[in-house]
Amino acid sequence: MLSVTLILLAALFFTGIIIRTKSLASGRKGPGIMQPIRDVLRLFRKGTVYSETTSFVFQLAPTVYFASVVMAMLVVPFGQSKGVLSFNGDFIFFAYVLALGKFFSIIAALDTGSSFEGMGASREALYSMFAEPAFFILMGSLALLSGHTSFQEIFASLHIGSQISYAMAALATFVLLMIAMIENSRMPIDDPKTHLELTMVHEVMILDNSGFDLGLILTAGYLKFALYGALIVNLFIGVIPYQYAISAFFGIQFLMAVAIGLIESFMARFRMSHNPQFIVVLTSVSLLIFFGVLLILQKFI
Amino acid sequence: MFQPFEMTFQFGNFAGEVLLRLDGLSSWFILIINFTVVTGFFYGTGYLKSYQLSRAKRSMHWILFLFFHLSMLFVCMIQNGFAFLVVWEIMSLTSMMLVLFDHENPKTFKAAINYFVQMHIGVTFLTIGFIWVYNQTGSFSFSAIQTYFQTNQNLWLFLLFFVGFGIKAGFIPFHSWLPHAHPAAPAHVSGVMSGVIVKLGIYGILRMITFLQADFLLLGEIILTLSILTSLYGILNAAVHRDFKRMLAYCTIENIGVIGIGIGIGLMGIGINNALMYYLGFGGALLHVLNHSLFKSLLFYAAGSIYQQTHTQNMENLGGLIKSMPKTAVVFLIGALAIGGLPPLNGFVSEFLIYNGLVAGVNSSSISQTILFVLTLAGMSLVGGLSLLTFTKSFGTIFLGQPRTKLDHQPQEVSMRMLVPQFVIIALMLSVAFFPQVYLKFVGTILVMIHPMQSDPSMFDSIVTASMRISLYSLLLVGIVAATWLIRASLLKNRSIKAGATWGCGYVAPNQRQQYTGKSFSKPLSKIFNVLVIEKKQFEELKQGEIFPARKSYGSHYQDLFEKKLILPLADWMVNSANYFSFIQNGRIQSYVLYGIVFVLAMILLSIFNIVA
Repeated sequence: MLSVTLILLAALFFTGIIIRTKSLASGRKGPGIMQPIRDVLRLFRKGTVYSETTSFVFQLAPTVYFASVVMAMLVVPFGQSKGVLSFNGDFIFFAYVLALGKFFSIIAALDTGSSFEGMGASREALYSMFAEPAFFILMGSLALLSGHTSFQEIFASLHIGSQISYAMAALATFVLLMIAMIENSRMPIDDPKTHLELTMVHEVMILDNSGFDLGLILTAGYLKFALYGALIVNLFIGVIPYQYAISAFFGIQFLMAVAIGLIESFMARFRMSHNPQFIVVLTSVSLLIFFGVLLILQKFI
Repeated sequence: MFQPFEMTFQFGNFAGEVLLRLDGLSSWFILIINFTVVTGFFYGTGYLKSYQLSRAKRSMHWILFLFFHLSMLFVCMIQNGFAFLVVWEIMSLTSMMLVLFDHENPKTFKAAINYFVQMHIGVTFLTIGFIWVYNQTGSFSFSAIQTYFQTNQNLWLFLLFFVGFGIKAGFIPFHSWLPHAHPAAPAHVSGVMSGVIVKLGIYGILRMITFLQADFLLLGEIILTLSILTSLYGILNAAVHRDFKRMLAYCTIENIGVIGIGIGIGLMGIGINNALMYYLGFGGALLHVLNHSLFKSLLFYAAGSIYQQTHTQNMENLGGLIKSMPKTAVVFLIGALAIGGLPPLNGFVSEFLIYNGLVAGVNSSSISQTILFVLTLAGMSLVGGLSLLTFTKSFGTIFLGQPRTKLDHQPQEVSMRMLVPQFVIIALMLSVAFFPQVYLKFVGTILVMIHPMQSDPSMFDSIVTASMRISLYSLLLVGIVAATWLIRASLLKNRSIKAGATWGCGYVAPNQRQQYTGKSFSKPLSKIFNVLVIEKKQFEELKQGEIFPARKSYGSHYQDLFEKKLILPLADWMVNSANYFSFIQNGRIQSYVLYGIVFVLAMILLSIFNIVA
């Protein structure tokens, strides 16, 4: 339960901090930290407009997308304390539940019959497909290192001792951060603030959503950020006592949000056609982690 | 525990006594065969209605179907190599005749011949295998294979059988009959072929594994490697094809790969004496056999319904069918979610077991195997991502958006007779998803038979409990969806809900042809993997000085790498080399008489000199 509470708390501020960082970096004062939450609350109170082309799929999809993220959230642990659900191979469940949400968001985009939304859907499917192996190799290596197969056991027994494991933790952070960016369609892959539908990925897929449904999608997005942030935090806290671990949690989430804000302020989006290559690089970074694990376990002789 | 049912009968002097045995492995496959054939039959009666067949043709079709069914049952029961080959052959021939249903179409004819030839290449391998055993042991019975394995090297004979059965199952590079035969057959036949007949290849491999005595580790590694490549190759091709039945056929290849991964893990588990890997691998493989037979037949039936109503297999001509065929759309959606291995449906249960087997393998092997397992893990996740792409593309292009072309007649929902079998399949799929323990208990008794591992059966019980937990969590997921939906519904009750046009991004005159197509959806993927999926384009460039260009056409289709680079050149080479001997068959009766005389003379001479008896 602890992890869920913390993730919910982090999700309240995360996007606000990103927006605030971006405003400050561009010399503006910017909206308050809670503005994204206020936006969502307002959306929850609104009516909706549906496209005439759409079917029940379009109405069902945001609900499934939201539910899948909530379900994934239940699996994530916090240090020694288990997630609400914890079992052997739960990281597989985590990935597949998120995939279910993605499936529905993609077909919802195709349901509108708009070619722009189809384009976004196609990219979303392609990018998330390329990101999968990186996540699985990372989790496979961590499972090998710790000898366990559930999130909580893996993270609880990660002890950062030798220099190689520091390097590995840094690489793992990079991989998870980048997967979070891909999953949330943020900067190096996708620019959420672009003005041209042709170059969007996630934003263009939800062009036709409004009201409650849009609110659900945005909330799911905020949760997803905090979710991946929590995974990164888990890499470091291990067996640290709670009072330090919880402050480390918020510290790392804050740093991550600021980092994302800074990246988005000072970097341009990659060329669409180069995105797959970039995402595949993540897989090779994961492979580096894997070989690091083999080194630590002295399987290379 | 239940006792295997056995009976014997005499089958000529050559084959000797034939043993018919109904053990756990047979009954598991017979269960799958019977269920799929029964749903196929009910669906098929509805499907064939629109053909207005003559009485004779219809009777012929169903008689063949019956023989097909019987032969499959006997394939699962017979424990004698010679008799096995006979029923195996009957199965191949009847299924070929069933593929030939639409025999006026030259494409169907070609596909059937292709199937016919490739099946016989497979039979050749099996025959060589059985004769090899006969040669060494003097018996065709399956128990002789076990005796052979006990005393001789295991590897090569097993590989021979693996190739023979692998052609039926559709492992690469032996898969090239599959994407031709499945789209050509009528829907209920392709459903049964893809759901069941392909699985009998798996049955054969598993049956041979029960006799295997050594080389588990090496064979496991071979099968695992081949399977993950099969899986990736199959789904990659499925992702780019736009003929939806061909897409489903390639997807079958992918799932055979997934089953093969399970078998590979299981074999390696035996090899390194790891009971967990054994149980997870074979357990996952057997459950996936059942699951795949369910959702693949379901998808083929749904595809048949679409074809019956629209008379096209090209998804680019379709669109918006969810409005006119809502029930078929839901059926297809459920099948698509299940085949993608997504929770909360049954595909996830078996894939989860196989994934866990991989993770167990990562943790408990030597370095080379660990690397193999981690790469397979990555490969399987890639397969998962690709199948997501494939099925969002297919479902989206066929059912969502607006109709892309004007069809000759307005498609309507198909008859209840066709829908009810599909609902029954869905009910069974849900039962696997939410009560996997019922099925896994049965799988457990089979696993004891495949290879008696010396470990406590409580390990398998823990796997059963784990799968029950998974289904409980899937139920929780359904609960969260339902709760969110109810909150949404109650909040939206009194609010304004308006309908408008899709936001055109500032463009005010969109038309249906401008929708994103299946091809454009998968184009970025096929561009990246253009080495593996070869696109063939047919078009004429605009010539220089062509001021008023004439009407031009543009076509593009994808070719199968193995077929183009391996099978067709080989076939061409065989035809060409056979040409050198065409002088023998020259059409002159005189030469044929001469051959006869030469043969008789040779026989006389040989017997005079006591060379032949």
